[in-house]
Amino acid sequence: MTTQEQVIVIDKLEKSYGKIQAVRGISMSVQRGEIFGFLGPNGAGKTTTIRCMLDVIRPSAGTIRVLGIDAQRDKLALHKHIGYLPGEVRLPGTMTGKQVIDYFSRLQGLEPVLLNDLIARFDVEVKRPMKGYSKGMRQKIGIVLAFMCDPEVLILDEPTSGLDPLLQKTFHELLLEEQARGKTIFMSSHIMSDVEKVCQRVAVIRSGELVTIEEVDKLREKAGQRVIVEFGDTVTKEELAAIPGVIDVTKNNRAYHLDVGGSMDPLIKSFSRHEVLRMQAEEAPLEEVFLKFYEEPEKATMTKQ
Amino acid sequence: MATTTISKNIPVPKKLSHGLSVTTRAITNSRTPLGIACFYGLLILLILAPIYPAMAQANFQAIINSGVFAAMLGGHITNFFNFSALLAVEVFSSIYGLLFGGFVAWIGGAVLPVTIEDGTLDLALSRPISRTRYYLESWFAVLIGTVIISLVLALGVWIDTFIVSNSGVDWPWMWLTLLVQWAFLFFAAGLGMFCGSFINASRAAGGTAVGIVVLGYLINTFGGLSNQFQWVLKISPFYYAPAIDPLINHHLTLWYPWVLVVAGLILGIAGLVVFNKRDFPAV
Repeated sequence: MTTQEQVIVIDKLEKSYGKIQAVRGISMSVQRGEIFGFLGPNGAGKTTTIRCMLDVIRPSAGTIRVLGIDAQRDKLALHKHIGYLPGEVRLPGTMTGKQVIDYFSRLQGLEPVLLNDLIARFDVEVKRPMKGYSKGMRQKIGIVLAFMCDPEVLILDEPTSGLDPLLQKTFHELLLEEQARGKTIFMSSHIMSDVEKVCQRVAVIRSGELVTIEEVDKLREKAGQRVIVEFGDTVTKEELAAIPGVIDVTKNNRAYHLDVGGSMDPLIKSFSRHEVLRMQAEEAPLEEVFLKFYEEPEKATMTKQ
Repeated sequence: MATTTISKNIPVPKKLSHGLSVTTRAITNSRTPLGIACFYGLLILLILAPIYPAMAQANFQAIINSGVFAAMLGGHITNFFNFSALLAVEVFSSIYGLLFGGFVAWIGGAVLPVTIEDGTLDLALSRPISRTRYYLESWFAVLIGTVIISLVLALGVWIDTFIVSNSGVDWPWMWLTLLVQWAFLFFAAGLGMFCGSFINASRAAGGTAVGIVVLGYLINTFGGLSNQFQWVLKISPFYYAPAIDPLINHHLTLWYPWVLVVAGLILGIAGLVVFNKRDFPAV
Protein backbone atom coordinates (compact mmCIF):
# COMPACT_ATOMS: atom_id res chain seq x y z
CA MET A 1 0.00 0.00 0.00
CA THR A 2 1.44 3.30 -1.06
CA THR A 3 1.84 5.81 1.73
CA GLN A 4 -0.08 8.90 0.70
CA GLU A 5 0.31 12.35 2.16
CA GLN A 6 -1.89 12.83 5.18
CA VAL A 7 -3.66 16.14 4.70
CA ILE A 8 -5.83 16.06 7.82
CA VAL A 9 -4.50 14.47 10.99
CA ILE A 10 -6.65 14.43 14.11
CA ASP A 11 -4.84 13.06 17.13
CA LYS A 12 -6.62 12.19 20.37
CA LEU A 13 -9.09 15.03 20.04
CA GLU A 14 -11.19 15.73 23.09
CA LYS A 15 -13.81 18.37 23.68
CA SER A 16 -15.75 18.83 26.86
CA TYR A 17 -18.45 21.27 27.81
CA GLY A 18 -18.26 21.21 31.56
CA LYS A 19 -19.05 17.64 32.56
CA ILE A 20 -20.32 16.70 29.13
CA GLN A 21 -17.73 15.08 26.89
CA ALA A 22 -18.75 15.83 23.34
CA VAL A 23 -15.66 14.25 21.75
CA ARG A 24 -13.63 11.60 23.54
CA GLY A 25 -10.15 11.14 22.21
CA ILE A 26 -10.76 10.49 18.51
CA SER A 27 -7.89 10.01 16.10
CA MET A 28 -8.07 9.74 12.34
CA SER A 29 -6.36 10.94 9.20
CA VAL A 30 -7.43 11.89 5.68
CA GLN A 31 -5.18 11.43 2.70
CA ARG A 32 -4.62 13.86 -0.13
CA GLY A 33 -7.19 13.54 -2.88
CA GLU A 34 -9.56 11.56 -0.71
CA ILE A 35 -13.25 12.17 -0.10
CA PHE A 36 -13.68 11.16 3.51
CA GLY A 37 -17.08 10.64 5.05
CA PHE A 38 -17.78 11.36 8.67
CA LEU A 39 -21.00 9.78 9.90
CA GLY A 40 -22.81 9.51 13.15
CA PRO A 41 -26.21 9.97 14.76
CA ASN A 42 -27.41 13.35 15.99
CA GLY A 43 -25.32 14.63 18.85
CA ALA A 44 -22.48 12.21 18.16
CA GLY A 45 -19.83 14.93 17.88
CA LYS A 46 -19.50 15.43 14.12
CA THR A 47 -20.10 19.18 14.09
CA THR A 48 -18.03 19.61 17.24
CA THR A 49 -15.09 17.89 15.53
CA ILE A 50 -15.47 20.04 12.43
CA ARG A 51 -15.69 23.25 14.44
CA CYS A 52 -12.52 22.27 16.30
CA MET A 53 -10.81 21.88 12.94
CA LEU A 54 -11.74 25.47 12.15
CA ASP A 55 -10.83 26.81 15.59
CA VAL A 56 -14.34 28.16 16.07
CA ILE A 57 -14.27 26.09 19.23
CA ARG A 58 -11.11 25.04 21.04
CA PRO A 59 -10.31 21.41 21.80
CA SER A 60 -9.95 20.39 25.44
CA ALA A 61 -7.10 18.10 24.43
CA GLY A 62 -5.45 16.66 21.34
CA THR A 63 -4.22 18.21 18.15
CA ILE A 64 -5.50 18.80 14.68
CA ARG A 65 -3.17 19.40 11.77
CA VAL A 66 -4.35 20.24 8.28
CA LEU A 67 -1.80 20.47 5.46
CA GLY A 68 0.81 20.11 8.16
CA ILE A 69 -0.42 23.28 9.89
CA ASP A 70 -1.63 23.32 13.47
CA ALA A 71 -5.30 24.23 13.28
CA GLN A 72 -5.24 26.10 16.59
CA ARG A 73 -1.86 27.82 16.51
CA ASP A 74 -1.57 28.80 12.86
CA LYS A 75 -5.15 29.08 11.81
CA LEU A 76 -4.63 32.18 9.67
CA ALA A 77 -2.11 30.36 7.47
CA LEU A 78 -4.38 27.32 7.33
CA HIS A 79 -7.61 29.11 6.51
CA LYS A 80 -6.18 30.44 3.27
CA HIS A 81 -6.47 26.89 1.98
CA ILE A 82 -9.81 25.79 3.39
CA GLY A 83 -13.34 26.01 2.11
CA TYR A 84 -16.03 25.46 4.74
CA LEU A 85 -19.72 24.70 4.50
CA PRO A 86 -21.53 24.85 7.87
CA GLY A 87 -24.23 22.41 8.88
CA GLU A 88 -26.87 25.07 8.66
CA VAL A 89 -26.34 27.94 6.27
CA ARG A 90 -27.76 31.05 7.86
CA LEU A 91 -27.03 34.38 6.27
CA PRO A 92 -28.26 37.94 6.90
CA GLY A 93 -31.67 38.52 5.38
CA THR A 94 -30.81 42.03 4.29
CA MET A 95 -27.87 40.99 2.14
CA THR A 96 -28.24 39.76 -1.42
CA GLY A 97 -26.42 36.67 -2.59
CA LYS A 98 -23.96 38.85 -4.46
CA GLN A 99 -23.21 40.93 -1.38
CA VAL A 100 -22.63 37.79 0.65
CA ILE A 101 -20.28 36.43 -1.97
CA ASP A 102 -18.36 39.72 -2.19
CA TYR A 103 -18.06 39.97 1.59
CA PHE A 104 -16.68 36.49 2.07
CA SER A 105 -14.41 36.74 -0.98
CA ARG A 106 -12.79 39.76 0.64
CA LEU A 107 -12.46 37.99 3.96
CA GLN A 108 -10.88 35.06 2.15
CA GLY A 109 -8.54 37.52 0.46
CA LEU A 110 -8.80 35.66 -2.83
CA GLU A 111 -10.61 36.17 -6.09
CA PRO A 112 -13.50 33.71 -6.45
CA VAL A 113 -12.24 32.05 -9.63
CA LEU A 114 -14.88 29.33 -9.64
CA LEU A 115 -17.79 31.66 -8.95
CA ASN A 116 -19.32 31.85 -12.42
CA ASP A 117 -19.02 28.10 -12.95
CA LEU A 118 -20.71 27.37 -9.64
CA ILE A 119 -23.50 29.89 -10.15
CA ALA A 120 -24.27 28.42 -13.55
CA ARG A 121 -23.95 24.84 -12.37
CA PHE A 122 -26.22 25.19 -9.35
CA ASP A 123 -28.48 27.83 -10.89
CA VAL A 124 -27.87 30.15 -7.98
CA GLU A 125 -29.93 33.30 -7.54
CA VAL A 126 -27.68 36.13 -6.32
CA LYS A 127 -29.65 39.32 -6.82
CA ARG A 128 -32.43 38.90 -4.26
CA PRO A 129 -32.10 39.60 -0.53
CA MET A 130 -31.44 36.45 1.44
CA LYS A 131 -34.63 36.78 3.47
CA GLY A 132 -36.55 35.57 0.43
CA TYR A 133 -34.37 32.49 0.06
CA SER A 134 -35.54 28.97 0.83
CA LYS A 135 -33.32 26.53 2.71
CA GLY A 136 -32.20 24.97 -0.55
CA MET A 137 -31.31 28.33 -2.05
CA ARG A 138 -29.26 29.24 1.01
CA GLN A 139 -27.54 25.87 0.85
CA LYS A 140 -26.54 26.59 -2.74
CA ILE A 141 -25.04 29.90 -1.66
CA GLY A 142 -23.21 28.04 1.08
CA ILE A 143 -21.77 25.62 -1.49
CA VAL A 144 -20.66 28.54 -3.65
CA LEU A 145 -18.98 30.19 -0.66
CA ALA A 146 -17.12 26.98 0.17
CA PHE A 147 -15.85 26.24 -3.33
CA MET A 148 -15.55 29.61 -5.03
CA CYS A 149 -11.95 30.45 -4.14
CA ASP A 150 -10.74 27.00 -5.23
CA PRO A 151 -9.46 25.85 -1.83
CA GLU A 152 -7.16 22.90 -1.39
CA VAL A 153 -9.17 21.34 1.43
CA LEU A 154 -12.93 21.32 1.76
CA ILE A 155 -14.64 20.78 5.07
CA LEU A 156 -18.35 20.22 4.54
CA ASP A 157 -20.94 19.70 7.25
CA GLU A 158 -24.01 17.95 5.82
CA PRO A 159 -23.50 19.48 2.38
CA THR A 160 -26.57 18.11 0.63
CA SER A 161 -29.01 19.17 3.31
CA GLY A 162 -31.94 20.96 1.65
CA LEU A 163 -30.91 20.07 -1.90
CA ASP A 164 -33.30 18.32 -4.24
CA PRO A 165 -32.20 14.97 -5.76
CA LEU A 166 -31.07 16.59 -9.01
CA LEU A 167 -28.88 19.09 -7.17
CA GLN A 168 -27.54 16.33 -4.97
CA LYS A 169 -26.42 14.57 -8.13
CA THR A 170 -24.85 17.80 -9.38
CA PHE A 171 -23.10 18.20 -6.07
CA HIS A 172 -21.74 14.65 -6.16
CA GLU A 173 -20.38 15.31 -9.65
CA LEU A 174 -18.70 18.46 -8.34
CA LEU A 175 -17.08 16.54 -5.50
CA LEU A 176 -15.73 13.90 -7.84
CA GLU A 177 -14.36 16.54 -10.19
CA GLU A 178 -12.67 18.34 -7.33
CA GLN A 179 -11.21 15.08 -6.16
CA ALA A 180 -9.86 14.47 -9.66
CA ARG A 181 -8.19 17.89 -9.41
CA GLY A 182 -6.40 16.75 -6.27
CA LYS A 183 -8.59 18.37 -3.65
CA THR A 184 -9.15 16.74 -0.29
CA ILE A 185 -12.70 16.66 1.02
CA PHE A 186 -13.86 15.97 4.56
CA MET A 187 -17.61 15.75 4.82
CA SER A 188 -20.07 14.84 7.49
CA SER A 189 -23.44 13.52 6.49
CA HIS A 190 -26.56 11.75 7.59
CA ILE A 191 -27.34 10.78 4.04
CA MET A 192 -25.97 7.34 3.20
CA SER A 193 -26.27 7.86 -0.53
CA ASP A 194 -23.75 10.74 -0.23
CA VAL A 195 -21.31 8.35 1.33
CA GLU A 196 -21.94 5.47 -1.03
CA LYS A 197 -21.61 7.59 -4.14
CA VAL A 198 -18.55 9.70 -3.43
CA CYS A 199 -16.56 8.63 -0.36
CA GLN A 200 -13.56 6.39 -0.39
CA ARG A 201 -13.45 5.93 3.38
CA VAL A 202 -15.82 6.67 6.18
CA ALA A 203 -15.49 7.13 9.89
CA VAL A 204 -18.43 6.54 12.19
CA ILE A 205 -18.64 8.43 15.46
CA ARG A 206 -21.12 7.68 18.22
CA SER A 207 -21.41 9.44 21.57
CA GLY A 208 -18.11 11.21 20.97
CA GLU A 209 -16.17 8.04 20.24
CA LEU A 210 -14.90 6.73 16.96
CA VAL A 211 -16.58 3.41 16.27
CA THR A 212 -14.93 2.47 13.01
CA ILE A 213 -12.97 3.74 10.03
CA GLU A 214 -13.40 1.64 6.89
CA GLU A 215 -13.08 1.80 3.16
CA VAL A 216 -16.47 2.07 1.50
CA ASP A 217 -15.66 -0.82 -0.86
CA LYS A 218 -14.96 -3.09 2.10
CA LEU A 219 -18.17 -1.99 3.71
CA ARG A 220 -20.02 -2.91 0.53
CA GLU A 221 -18.47 -6.35 0.69
CA LYS A 222 -19.58 -6.67 4.29
CA ALA A 223 -23.09 -5.54 3.40
CA GLY A 224 -23.18 -8.24 0.74
CA GLN A 225 -26.19 -8.72 -1.47
CA ARG A 226 -29.89 -8.93 -0.94
CA VAL A 227 -31.63 -11.70 -2.87
CA ILE A 228 -35.39 -12.02 -3.24
CA VAL A 229 -36.51 -15.39 -4.55
CA GLU A 230 -39.82 -17.16 -5.11
CA PHE A 231 -39.88 -20.91 -5.53
CA GLY A 232 -42.41 -23.06 -7.31
CA ASP A 233 -41.74 -26.03 -5.03
CA THR A 234 -41.48 -26.32 -1.28
CA VAL A 235 -38.30 -24.89 0.23
CA THR A 236 -37.81 -24.43 3.94
CA LYS A 237 -36.26 -21.48 5.63
CA GLU A 238 -33.80 -23.73 7.40
CA GLU A 239 -32.62 -25.18 4.12
CA LEU A 240 -31.89 -21.72 2.77
CA ALA A 241 -30.21 -20.61 6.00
CA ALA A 242 -27.84 -23.56 5.73
CA ILE A 243 -26.46 -22.46 2.36
CA PRO A 244 -22.87 -21.18 2.76
CA GLY A 245 -22.76 -17.37 2.66
CA VAL A 246 -26.38 -16.81 3.69
CA ILE A 247 -26.42 -14.44 6.67
CA ASP A 248 -30.13 -14.05 7.24
CA VAL A 249 -33.41 -15.38 5.80
CA THR A 250 -36.86 -13.90 6.16
CA LYS A 251 -40.09 -14.87 4.48
CA ASN A 252 -42.51 -12.31 3.11
CA ASN A 253 -45.68 -13.91 1.71
CA ARG A 254 -44.35 -16.36 -0.85
CA ALA A 255 -40.94 -14.78 -1.34
CA TYR A 256 -37.78 -15.38 0.65
CA HIS A 257 -35.45 -12.44 1.39
CA LEU A 258 -31.86 -13.53 1.86
CA ASP A 259 -28.89 -11.47 2.97
CA VAL A 260 -25.83 -13.00 1.34
CA GLY A 261 -22.19 -12.26 1.99
CA GLY A 262 -19.28 -13.37 -0.12
CA SER A 263 -19.63 -15.49 -3.24
CA MET A 264 -23.05 -16.12 -4.77
CA ASP A 265 -21.95 -19.43 -6.25
CA PRO A 266 -23.20 -21.75 -3.42
CA LEU A 267 -26.54 -19.94 -3.50
CA ILE A 268 -26.99 -20.31 -7.26
CA LYS A 269 -26.05 -23.96 -7.14
CA SER A 270 -28.57 -24.57 -4.34
CA PHE A 271 -31.31 -22.74 -6.21
CA SER A 272 -30.65 -24.85 -9.31
CA ARG A 273 -32.06 -27.85 -7.43
CA HIS A 274 -35.43 -26.10 -7.13
CA GLU A 275 -38.01 -24.49 -9.39
CA VAL A 276 -37.24 -20.75 -9.25
CA LEU A 277 -40.22 -18.60 -10.24
CA ARG A 278 -38.60 -15.24 -9.64
CA MET A 279 -35.23 -14.03 -8.46
CA GLN A 280 -33.90 -10.57 -7.86
CA ALA A 281 -30.46 -9.66 -6.52
CA GLU A 282 -29.15 -6.26 -5.54
CA GLU A 283 -26.40 -4.86 -3.37
CA ALA A 284 -27.56 -4.57 0.18
CA PRO A 285 -27.80 -0.91 1.17
CA LEU A 286 -24.89 0.38 3.19
CA GLU A 287 -27.42 2.08 5.39
CA GLU A 288 -28.02 -1.09 7.29
CA VAL A 289 -24.31 -1.53 7.92
CA PHE A 290 -24.05 1.99 9.25
CA LEU A 291 -27.15 1.64 11.36
CA LYS A 292 -25.53 -1.28 13.08
CA PHE A 293 -22.69 1.01 14.08
CA TYR A 294 -25.15 3.66 15.15
CA GLU A 295 -27.29 1.39 17.29
CA GLU A 296 -25.46 -1.67 18.53
CA PRO A 297 -22.22 -1.16 20.38
CA GLU A 298 -21.69 -4.92 20.80
CA LYS A 299 -21.58 -5.44 17.05
CA ALA A 300 -19.24 -2.57 16.34
CA THR A 301 -15.57 -3.32 16.18
CA MET A 302 -12.68 -0.89 16.21
CA THR A 303 -10.85 -1.15 12.91
CA LYS A 304 -8.35 1.32 11.64
CA GLN A 305 -6.92 1.72 8.21
CA MET B 1 -31.00 24.11 -15.41
CA ALA B 2 -27.57 24.78 -16.78
CA THR B 3 -25.19 21.97 -16.06
CA THR B 4 -21.57 22.71 -16.58
CA THR B 5 -18.43 21.16 -15.36
CA ILE B 6 -15.66 23.04 -13.70
CA SER B 7 -13.52 24.73 -16.32
CA LYS B 8 -10.32 22.85 -16.88
CA ASN B 9 -8.15 25.92 -17.04
CA ILE B 10 -8.67 27.47 -13.67
CA PRO B 11 -6.44 30.43 -12.95
CA VAL B 12 -4.69 30.80 -9.64
CA PRO B 13 -6.89 33.12 -7.58
CA LYS B 14 -5.55 36.64 -7.35
CA LYS B 15 -5.36 38.25 -3.95
CA LEU B 16 -8.19 40.50 -2.87
CA SER B 17 -7.77 43.18 -0.25
CA HIS B 18 -9.63 42.63 3.02
CA GLY B 19 -10.19 46.34 3.26
CA LEU B 20 -12.35 47.03 6.28
CA SER B 21 -15.00 44.55 5.26
CA VAL B 22 -15.99 43.67 8.81
CA THR B 23 -16.23 47.35 9.78
CA THR B 24 -18.43 48.12 6.79
CA ARG B 25 -20.63 45.13 7.55
CA ALA B 26 -20.90 46.14 11.22
CA ILE B 27 -21.93 49.69 10.35
CA THR B 28 -24.54 48.33 7.97
CA ASN B 29 -25.88 46.05 10.70
CA SER B 30 -26.04 49.01 13.10
CA ARG B 31 -27.64 51.46 10.71
CA THR B 32 -31.08 51.34 12.32
CA PRO B 33 -30.16 52.27 15.92
CA LEU B 34 -27.52 54.67 14.65
CA GLY B 35 -30.04 56.32 12.37
CA ILE B 36 -32.58 56.57 15.17
CA ALA B 37 -30.01 58.17 17.49
CA CYS B 38 -29.06 60.74 14.85
CA PHE B 39 -32.72 61.38 14.06
CA TYR B 40 -33.60 61.98 17.72
CA GLY B 41 -30.61 64.26 18.19
CA LEU B 42 -31.42 66.31 15.14
CA LEU B 43 -35.13 66.39 15.95
CA ILE B 44 -34.58 67.62 19.49
CA LEU B 45 -32.16 70.29 18.31
CA LEU B 46 -34.40 71.48 15.50
CA ILE B 47 -37.38 71.73 17.85
CA LEU B 48 -35.41 73.66 20.46
CA ALA B 49 -34.62 76.58 18.19
CA PRO B 50 -38.21 77.63 17.39
CA ILE B 51 -39.43 77.10 20.98
CA TYR B 52 -36.53 78.94 22.59
CA PRO B 53 -38.14 82.42 22.49
CA ALA B 54 -41.19 81.14 24.39
CA MET B 55 -39.08 79.23 26.89
CA ALA B 56 -36.89 82.26 27.46
CA GLN B 57 -39.97 84.20 28.56
CA ALA B 58 -41.00 81.60 31.10
CA ASN B 59 -39.32 81.52 34.46
CA PHE B 60 -37.77 78.08 34.77
CA GLN B 61 -34.90 79.19 36.92
CA ALA B 62 -36.45 78.00 40.17
CA ILE B 63 -37.08 74.56 38.71
CA ILE B 64 -33.61 74.34 37.17
CA ASN B 65 -32.06 75.34 40.48
CA SER B 66 -33.79 72.60 42.43
CA GLY B 67 -31.61 69.80 43.76
CA VAL B 68 -33.68 67.12 42.06
CA PHE B 69 -33.43 68.74 38.66
CA ALA B 70 -29.73 69.40 39.12
CA ALA B 71 -29.24 65.75 39.99
CA MET B 72 -31.12 64.66 36.88
CA LEU B 73 -29.12 67.03 34.69
CA GLY B 74 -25.83 66.21 36.31
CA GLY B 75 -25.02 69.76 37.25
CA HIS B 76 -26.29 73.19 38.27
CA ILE B 77 -27.30 75.83 35.76
CA THR B 78 -27.28 79.18 37.47
CA ASN B 79 -28.25 81.23 34.46
CA PHE B 80 -31.01 79.79 32.32
CA PHE B 81 -31.57 82.86 30.20
CA ASN B 82 -29.60 81.95 27.10
CA PHE B 83 -29.75 79.37 24.32
CA SER B 84 -26.69 77.48 25.53
CA ALA B 85 -28.45 76.86 28.82
CA LEU B 86 -31.42 75.38 26.97
CA LEU B 87 -29.02 73.20 24.98
CA ALA B 88 -27.39 72.14 28.23
CA VAL B 89 -30.72 71.07 29.70
CA GLU B 90 -32.22 69.40 26.68
CA VAL B 91 -29.28 67.87 24.92
CA PHE B 92 -25.96 68.07 26.72
CA SER B 93 -26.89 67.19 30.28
CA SER B 94 -26.74 63.71 31.71
CA ILE B 95 -29.77 63.02 29.56
CA TYR B 96 -27.31 63.03 26.65
CA GLY B 97 -25.43 60.18 28.21
CA LEU B 98 -28.62 58.29 28.90
CA LEU B 99 -30.07 58.74 25.44
CA PHE B 100 -27.08 58.71 23.12
CA GLY B 101 -24.90 56.67 25.43
CA GLY B 102 -27.72 54.17 25.60
CA PHE B 103 -27.88 53.92 21.83
CA VAL B 104 -24.12 53.46 21.55
CA ALA B 105 -24.11 50.86 24.33
CA TRP B 106 -26.85 48.98 22.48
CA ILE B 107 -24.97 49.16 19.18
CA GLY B 108 -21.72 48.06 20.82
CA GLY B 109 -23.43 45.25 22.66
CA ALA B 110 -25.14 43.87 19.59
CA VAL B 111 -22.41 44.26 16.99
CA LEU B 112 -20.72 40.91 17.70
CA PRO B 113 -23.64 38.68 18.77
CA VAL B 114 -25.67 39.68 15.72
CA THR B 115 -23.02 37.94 13.62
CA ILE B 116 -23.51 34.78 15.65
CA GLU B 117 -27.25 35.00 15.08
CA ASP B 118 -27.05 35.69 11.35
CA GLY B 119 -24.48 32.95 10.76
CA THR B 120 -21.73 35.16 9.40
CA LEU B 121 -19.32 34.70 12.32
CA ASP B 122 -18.72 31.00 11.67
CA LEU B 123 -18.15 31.63 8.01
CA ALA B 124 -15.92 34.62 8.75
CA LEU B 125 -13.75 32.80 11.28
CA SER B 126 -13.27 29.91 8.83
CA ARG B 127 -11.45 32.44 6.68
CA PRO B 128 -7.98 33.92 7.23
CA ILE B 129 -9.09 36.67 9.57
CA SER B 130 -8.01 36.62 13.18
CA ARG B 131 -10.47 36.97 16.01
CA THR B 132 -8.51 40.06 17.11
CA ARG B 133 -8.94 41.76 13.76
CA TYR B 134 -12.60 40.81 13.62
CA TYR B 135 -13.21 42.29 17.08
CA LEU B 136 -11.18 45.45 16.46
CA GLU B 137 -12.91 46.12 13.16
CA SER B 138 -16.27 45.73 14.87
CA TRP B 139 -15.21 48.08 17.66
CA PHE B 140 -13.99 50.56 15.08
CA ALA B 141 -17.41 50.46 13.47
CA VAL B 142 -19.05 51.38 16.77
CA LEU B 143 -16.59 54.24 17.26
CA ILE B 144 -17.39 55.53 13.78
CA GLY B 145 -20.99 55.54 14.94
CA THR B 146 -20.08 57.67 17.96
CA VAL B 147 -18.33 60.20 15.73
CA ILE B 148 -21.36 60.30 13.43
CA ILE B 149 -23.65 61.02 16.39
CA SER B 150 -21.36 63.81 17.63
CA LEU B 151 -21.11 65.38 14.18
CA VAL B 152 -24.88 65.22 13.68
CA LEU B 153 -25.38 67.02 16.98
CA ALA B 154 -22.82 69.63 15.98
CA LEU B 155 -24.72 70.04 12.72
CA GLY B 156 -27.96 70.48 14.64
CA VAL B 157 -26.47 73.17 16.87
CA TRP B 158 -25.03 74.93 13.83
CA ILE B 159 -28.42 74.97 12.14
CA ASP B 160 -29.95 76.33 15.35
CA THR B 161 -27.57 79.27 15.34
CA PHE B 162 -29.22 80.42 12.13
CA ILE B 163 -32.72 80.11 13.60
CA VAL B 164 -32.10 81.61 17.03
CA SER B 165 -31.03 85.22 16.88
CA ASN B 166 -28.15 86.03 19.19
CA SER B 167 -27.85 82.39 20.17
CA GLY B 168 -24.60 83.15 21.98
CA VAL B 169 -23.17 79.69 21.33
CA ASP B 170 -19.48 79.73 22.11
CA TRP B 171 -18.14 77.36 19.48
CA PRO B 172 -14.75 76.50 21.03
CA TRP B 173 -16.51 75.51 24.26
CA MET B 174 -19.23 73.77 22.26
CA TRP B 175 -16.59 71.58 20.60
CA LEU B 176 -15.04 70.87 24.00
CA THR B 177 -18.49 69.90 25.27
CA LEU B 178 -18.95 67.57 22.34
CA LEU B 179 -15.51 66.08 23.01
CA VAL B 180 -16.38 65.49 26.66
CA GLN B 181 -19.60 63.82 25.62
CA TRP B 182 -17.79 61.84 22.96
CA ALA B 183 -15.58 60.47 25.75
CA PHE B 184 -18.78 59.19 27.33
CA LEU B 185 -19.81 57.60 24.06
CA PHE B 186 -16.36 56.00 23.85
CA PHE B 187 -16.94 54.50 27.28
CA ALA B 188 -20.40 53.28 26.23
CA ALA B 189 -18.89 51.69 23.13
CA GLY B 190 -16.29 49.82 25.20
CA LEU B 191 -18.98 48.73 27.64
CA GLY B 192 -21.11 47.42 24.78
CA MET B 193 -18.20 45.56 23.21
CA PHE B 194 -17.40 43.91 26.53
CA CYS B 195 -20.99 42.75 26.99
CA GLY B 196 -21.15 41.52 23.39
CA SER B 197 -17.94 39.54 23.75
CA PHE B 198 -19.51 36.90 25.96
CA ILE B 199 -23.31 37.19 25.49
CA ASN B 200 -24.55 35.27 22.46
CA ALA B 201 -27.85 37.05 21.90
CA SER B 202 -27.66 40.55 20.44
CA ARG B 203 -30.66 41.92 22.32
CA ALA B 204 -29.45 40.49 25.60
CA ALA B 205 -25.98 41.93 25.09
CA GLY B 206 -27.24 45.34 23.98
CA GLY B 207 -29.82 45.38 26.74
CA THR B 208 -27.23 44.52 29.38
CA ALA B 209 -25.01 47.37 28.23
CA VAL B 210 -27.94 49.80 28.20
CA GLY B 211 -28.94 48.60 31.64
CA ILE B 212 -25.50 49.42 32.98
CA VAL B 213 -25.71 52.90 31.46
CA VAL B 214 -29.12 53.41 33.08
CA LEU B 215 -27.71 52.19 36.38
CA GLY B 216 -24.94 54.74 36.03
CA TYR B 217 -27.51 57.44 35.42
CA LEU B 218 -29.53 56.45 38.49
CA ILE B 219 -26.40 56.44 40.63
CA ASN B 220 -25.55 59.87 39.29
CA THR B 221 -29.07 61.14 40.00
CA PHE B 222 -29.40 59.77 43.52
CA GLY B 223 -25.85 60.68 44.36
CA GLY B 224 -26.61 64.25 43.48
CA LEU B 225 -29.71 64.44 45.67
CA SER B 226 -27.92 64.62 48.94
CA ASN B 227 -24.47 65.33 50.27
CA GLN B 228 -24.60 61.98 52.05
CA PHE B 229 -24.51 60.18 48.71
CA GLN B 230 -21.76 62.23 47.13
CA TRP B 231 -19.34 59.33 47.36
CA VAL B 232 -21.43 57.14 45.03
CA LEU B 233 -21.21 59.76 42.31
CA LYS B 234 -17.63 58.81 41.59
CA ILE B 235 -18.53 55.29 40.52
CA SER B 236 -20.93 56.56 37.91
CA PRO B 237 -19.49 57.28 34.45
CA PHE B 238 -21.81 60.26 34.23
CA TYR B 239 -19.78 61.96 36.93
CA TYR B 240 -16.85 62.23 34.52
CA ALA B 241 -18.85 63.76 31.68
CA PRO B 242 -20.35 66.91 33.20
CA ALA B 243 -21.02 68.62 29.89
CA ILE B 244 -22.89 71.44 31.55
CA ASP B 245 -19.63 72.69 33.00
CA PRO B 246 -17.78 73.41 29.74
CA LEU B 247 -20.92 74.55 27.93
CA ILE B 248 -22.33 76.93 30.53
CA ASN B 249 -19.57 77.63 33.02
CA HIS B 250 -16.72 77.43 30.52
CA HIS B 251 -14.87 75.17 32.89
CA LEU B 252 -13.43 71.72 32.30
CA THR B 253 -11.69 69.31 34.66
CA LEU B 254 -9.22 67.99 32.13
CA TRP B 255 -8.69 64.51 33.55
CA TYR B 256 -12.40 63.66 33.84
CA PRO B 257 -12.93 62.70 30.19
CA TRP B 258 -9.72 60.64 30.30
CA VAL B 259 -11.25 58.48 33.02
CA LEU B 260 -14.01 57.59 30.58
CA VAL B 261 -11.58 56.97 27.73
CA VAL B 262 -9.39 54.73 29.89
CA ALA B 263 -12.41 52.89 31.27
CA GLY B 264 -13.72 52.39 27.74
CA LEU B 265 -10.35 51.09 26.62
CA ILE B 266 -10.11 48.68 29.54
CA LEU B 267 -13.58 47.34 28.88
CA GLY B 268 -12.95 47.04 25.16
CA ILE B 269 -9.66 45.22 25.69
CA ALA B 270 -11.24 42.94 28.27
CA GLY B 271 -13.87 42.11 25.67
CA LEU B 272 -11.14 41.33 23.16
CA VAL B 273 -9.49 38.90 25.58
CA VAL B 274 -12.81 37.15 26.20
CA PHE B 275 -13.62 37.04 22.49
CA ASN B 276 -10.26 35.46 21.72
CA LYS B 277 -10.61 32.75 24.31
CA ARG B 278 -14.21 31.67 24.03
CA ASP B 279 -16.03 29.02 22.03
CA PHE B 280 -18.83 30.09 19.73
CA PRO B 281 -22.13 28.25 19.61
CA ALA B 282 -23.25 26.51 16.46
CA VAL B 283 -26.00 28.39 14.65
